[in-house]
Amino acid sequence: MLARVADLLVDIPDLGDMASRCKDYIYQGEGGADVIIRTELLQRDVPEGLTEEQNIYLLSGWYFYGGLLKHSGMMLHASAVEYEGKAYLFSAPSGTGKSTHTRIWQKEFGDAARVFNDDKPALRYLDGTWYAYGTPWCGKDGININMKVPLAGICFLKQAPHNSICRLSHQEAVSRIISQTLRAFSRVSDMDLMLKHLDSLVRDIPVFELENRPEPEAARLSYETMRRAAEELGL
Amino acid sequence: MKLNKNYVLRPVADTWVVLPLGAEAINFNGMLTLNESGVLLWRALEKGGDLEALADALMAEYIVDRKDALADAEAFLEKLRKVGCVE
Repeated sequence: MLARVADLLVDIPDLGDMASRCKDYIYQGEGGADVIIRTELLQRDVPEGLTEEQNIYLLSGWYFYGGLLKHSGMMLHASAVEYEGKAYLFSAPSGTGKSTHTRIWQKEFGDAARVFNDDKPALRYLDGTWYAYGTPWCGKDGININMKVPLAGICFLKQAPHNSICRLSHQEAVSRIISQTLRAFSRVSDMDLMLKHLDSLVRDIPVFELENRPEPEAARLSYETMRRAAEELGL
Repeated sequence: MKLNKNYVLRPVADTWVVLPLGAEAINFNGMLTLNESGVLLWRALEKGGDLEALADALMAEYIVDRKDALADAEAFLEKLRKVGCVE
């Protein structure tokens, strides 16, 4: 089946539960696919602890985000929220509170704050702007909206008994983002593509670290800080 | 002392990173960012240098005495050993 994800035509095998996961992305027209995910690649052995559907979901995502590299894009393991027309991404290792933080944004800012990808937003650099996208690969709760939002900032989360935020240097930002993106490559050329996009991303987009408690003040702090920085940069 | 050829050094933004390739990447338990002196030492290792050669490289570039150069080189090697890129 053809799907339109991150402004790309993606050929996704109709296996497992991919049809229902991709329902908001199905492309009715015809066209040459930008990314082709081959059926046989999704039919590999299922690792211990995963269902066949989960395996298909994970592998197809892996191939999509790998293909995204060839189209000025990369994946970030983050919860992405849209507010006032801008995307704010909250990243951290699994289980450290990405979704918790964006849920607090929703409580604090109401329906105007929309989580459009709760797990792996696609990022793409198009016409001088970085965009974040909803995709079918959005985590176990399936929270996603087929949206394309200009990126305003990226924030790494750390649990702490207080709320404070600081801007990260390029070196720190590079290190954090690599730890939360696709980084296992068999080909040097793919690794170099990822690094090329990463170079551009950290030069264009402000990256922060927020030490926080799961409370409304943390959301106000992250929002105010990131919005101001984005304004200063004309994002 | 040999550099694991599955690790590559690359510039990104205004820093340098060391990343694993291929099967090595599956057990990715550490990536490194290197500053200028780290890159200098990495290049010396690429050329097959030992601890003394690394200290020499530091002393050629920076104002540092041999004792400190050796200590810095050893600390650098330890960082690399932890990640697994030096054998």
